Amino acid sequence: MTARATDSGATRSRRPRWLAGGSFVIVAVAAAVLALLLFLAIFADLVSPYDPLTQNLMDSLQGSSAAHWLGTDDLGRDVLSRLIYGCRIAVIAAAEATTIALLIGVPIGLFIGYRGGWWDWIVMRVVEAIVSIPGIMVAIVILALLGTGLHKAMIALGILFSTSFLRLARGVVLAEREEVYVRSARVIGASDSRILLRHILPNIAPPLIVQTTLTVGAVLLAEAGLSFIGLGVQPPDASWGTMLSTAAAYMDLHPFLAIPPGIAIILTVLSVNLIGDVIRDGIGRGITVAARHDTPVARFEAASAVEPSAAALPPLRPDEVLRVEGLQVTVASQDGTGVPLITDLSLSIAKGETLGLVGESGSGKTLTGLAILGLTSVALRTTHGSIMLNGRDLRSLSQREIQHVRGNEVAMVFQDPTTSLNPAFTVGSQIAEVLRAKKGLSKKEAWERTVALIDRVGIPRPEERARAFPHELSGGMAQRIAIARALSCNPSLLIADEPTTALDVTVQQEILDLFRDLQAEFGMAILFVTHDLAVAADICDRISVMYAGEMVEMAEVGRLFARPRHPYTRGLLTAMPHASDRNPPLPTIRGNVPRPGTWPAGCRFSNRCDFRIAACERRIPLTGTNRLVRCIRAEELSLEAAQ
Amino acid sequence: MLRLVFRRLLALAPLLFIVSVLTFSFTSLLPSDPVDLIIGDTGTQEQHEMVRERLGLNQPIVVRYVQWLGRAVRGDLGNSFFNSVSVTGAVMQRLPVTLSLTAVSALIAIIVGIAAGVAAALRPRSWIDRLATVGATIGQAIPNFWFGLLLVAIFAVNLRWFPATGFTPISVSPWDWLRSVTLPAVALGLSSSAAIARQVRSAMVGVLQQDYIRAARAQGLSARRVILKHALTNAMVPVVAVLSFQITVLLGGALIVEQVFAINGLGTLAITAVRQQDIPMIQGLVLVMVGLVVIVQLATDVIYGFLNPKARPS
Ligand code: SF4
Repeated sequence: MTARATDSGATRSRRPRWLAGGSFVIVAVAAAVLALLLFLAIFADLVSPYDPLTQNLMDSLQGSSAAHWLGTDDLGRDVLSRLIYGCRIAVIAAAEATTIALLIGVPIGLFIGYRGGWWDWIVMRVVEAIVSIPGIMVAIVILALLGTGLHKAMIALGILFSTSFLRLARGVVLAEREEVYVRSARVIGASDSRILLRHILPNIAPPLIVQTTLTVGAVLLAEAGLSFIGLGVQPPDASWGTMLSTAAAYMDLHPFLAIPPGIAIILTVLSVNLIGDVIRDGIGRGITVAARHDTPVARFEAASAVEPSAAALPPLRPDEVLRVEGLQVTVASQDGTGVPLITDLSLSIAKGETLGLVGESGSGKTLTGLAILGLTSVALRTTHGSIMLNGRDLRSLSQREIQHVRGNEVAMVFQDPTTSLNPAFTVGSQIAEVLRAKKGLSKKEAWERTVALIDRVGIPRPEERARAFPHELSGGMAQRIAIARALSCNPSLLIADEPTTALDVTVQQEILDLFRDLQAEFGMAILFVTHDLAVAADICDRISVMYAGEMVEMAEVGRLFARPRHPYTRGLLTAMPHASDRNPPLPTIRGNVPRPGTWPAGCRFSNRCDFRIAACERRIPLTGTNRLVRCIRAEELSLEAAQ
Repeated sequence: MLRLVFRRLLALAPLLFIVSVLTFSFTSLLPSDPVDLIIGDTGTQEQHEMVRERLGLNQPIVVRYVQWLGRAVRGDLGNSFFNSVSVTGAVMQRLPVTLSLTAVSALIAIIVGIAAGVAAALRPRSWIDRLATVGATIGQAIPNFWFGLLLVAIFAVNLRWFPATGFTPISVSPWDWLRSVTLPAVALGLSSSAAIARQVRSAMVGVLQQDYIRAARAQGLSARRVILKHALTNAMVPVVAVLSFQITVLLGGALIVEQVFAINGLGTLAITAVRQQDIPMIQGLVLVMVGLVVIVQLATDVIYGFLNPKARPS
């Protein structure tokens, strides 16, 4: 335990934790910057060493010195003092414009949201018009009316930014209105307006706070911009924008003038935005300034191999296409040690054979398919075992080599055809693309071959359908396309991951028939992953039953169904609905598949097994030759079942 | 595609109308009398009346609006109050300047934004992702005009690679045009590229988890092709949806950045017009801006329909 603790501690300190651990520090710095800003704004008269307006032409454009820490500007005014007074302007500007925006936007938004009808329509059209024009142009129009100056500029910005508050308030009212309607199940009357108000207030506060921080940041930038172009604060008053405007005139002589006000603006805006981000995140998950959880850094080495069962290795066959031995897949975990998801998995499939991989969700069957292709997500890794495809170990191949193998030697059909086809391209182009990339066909050849393939998988009018987008096809049709794509390069192994599960029952059988047909024609081996024993019985030659990341039984279909030997298989079989009975009383297996990392140490099924004995708490090996089973009581139980 | 353009155009037409009504009535609220502004307080009552007559200010606002709109549709935005130059002429003269700046900065923002966003999304939480995130956060806090000053100090004053001020039309010299537009466009595009990078990153992270990406990989397509074609096409859908907003922001930013580089574009025109309360000029400028925004929106709508087949009218 202590070893583990120090180990994970060491891991943590090695990780760069810029955002996770550092976010607190950053927030603290941002808060400090804003506190300093406020302090300087309030006490500018006391803090600043000089009057910001006092000129001294003898001393103009000086660099940093003991008398003038940040130097002087073109009129010999002290830059530091002007910067400090600029803080005051910035605070006033932000407060003024944001308050105006709130005071205009929120009441109007509440009103039109509540009244609806024409009021709402007209105001929203006006708002749309305002937000469609560049903000600075809106401000310019308003300033044309009001004239220039800090307060007028802030009124302009207040009006400009009120639109976002308006839309926010309106949105909250509309949402709450809906709520109140639903709850009271009647049209809202005058007496209900108080109810509505009571609902709105608590709901509007969090987004308002977030919107306010966003607005403050935007106002600061806009004020600086307006003052810079001479429409905001007027010289000689010191604001960061006017200071930059002065600096602009002296970029060749004294470029340093631009640095202090620029840094002041950036730091302030950055701090406001960062605090705003934190508030938004906090509101998003119930006000906690908690550090983000790091995704675990991949450390797989620590996970030790589960010792392979000697008997599990399938006998070599000459026409073997795929042979997996002792496969283990591990996920990186919080504490840095790996958690195994699949252990000690061995299987083989011969040419023209279909092997079913059956189990409940969470048993690791889909993952097995992806691991064979080397397509597990970043946090997962195949840590042990070999995957021999046509005599070559895929695990030893380079990225380039395995990329060549994919599509050419092994292909995969996924569960949901509507999501496994790219929505942005026509289905035909997605098949043709594979043919061109993998087989080097010309555009024309690829297209002809594509149409032929689409025809082959039983889609009428293939020319036309090839030009359709995925969303224009039915699920069954899309799955046929996905199958056509998978078979386009004539792979020797096809991995089918629940290919019928997402489809309509009537279509399922057609797709299964298609698989059988295509296998007869192309002779590929199929690894058929499914949770549905009835489907597996229909299409498979042999079935491997998986449970909690390992194989618990493997047998030919007929024998498995006639005499299941593992208690789990028996459970699955009894839970299987039969076509004959209408309302089958499905005796499901109690409990759920334990999650990886919580597997029982001995037999992984032991916490759900009715036949458990003390000996089951040891690790159970897979035993047998042609039929395999992972249960120490398999012999006696099958005898008992036979009686 | 034509049908899409037409349909969107119909949807955007009311916007043009509403904006024109708004600006017209709003600028007519002017507290000070424009006639005073033009001839000063010294003029006689008669002079006042004459100017009023000439400007058509003695008619009811609705009549004035209809007349103004009627002329505007024919491309005549009236004359400036001050020097009687035609507003259309003044705007058209400067439009290419501001458009160059906006277009180049949009291009920069899109390229940089996509590159940074994709790089960050490919390796979430790696140093490059952190760099992009930090860069985007800071980039959005930097005022574009300040960044422009910085660029001038470094690349124009110090290194002398680019001119510090001015603008060369592309028709005069494409090379000088590029040199004159580079620094302002980079300054202007910075915060937009940060915003686009953020959007691309989050869209890309989502898309990369999609089944069709895994399916394309399973089919043995190269990582490069899968990322740049299959993933990016889909990740751009939400980005393009907000792209017209970003370009509108750039158009506004251009007005300010022009001042840094002493470029005589729409910004200078607008600032002068505000100071002089030159109503026809401001009305014309707003109308032209909205026109540009509508064109940009139309273009992004078409691209959106191209990237997202589901959005096309069938
Ligand atoms: S080994 Fe024991 S617990 Fe496991 S399935 Fe067999 S009988 Fe049940």
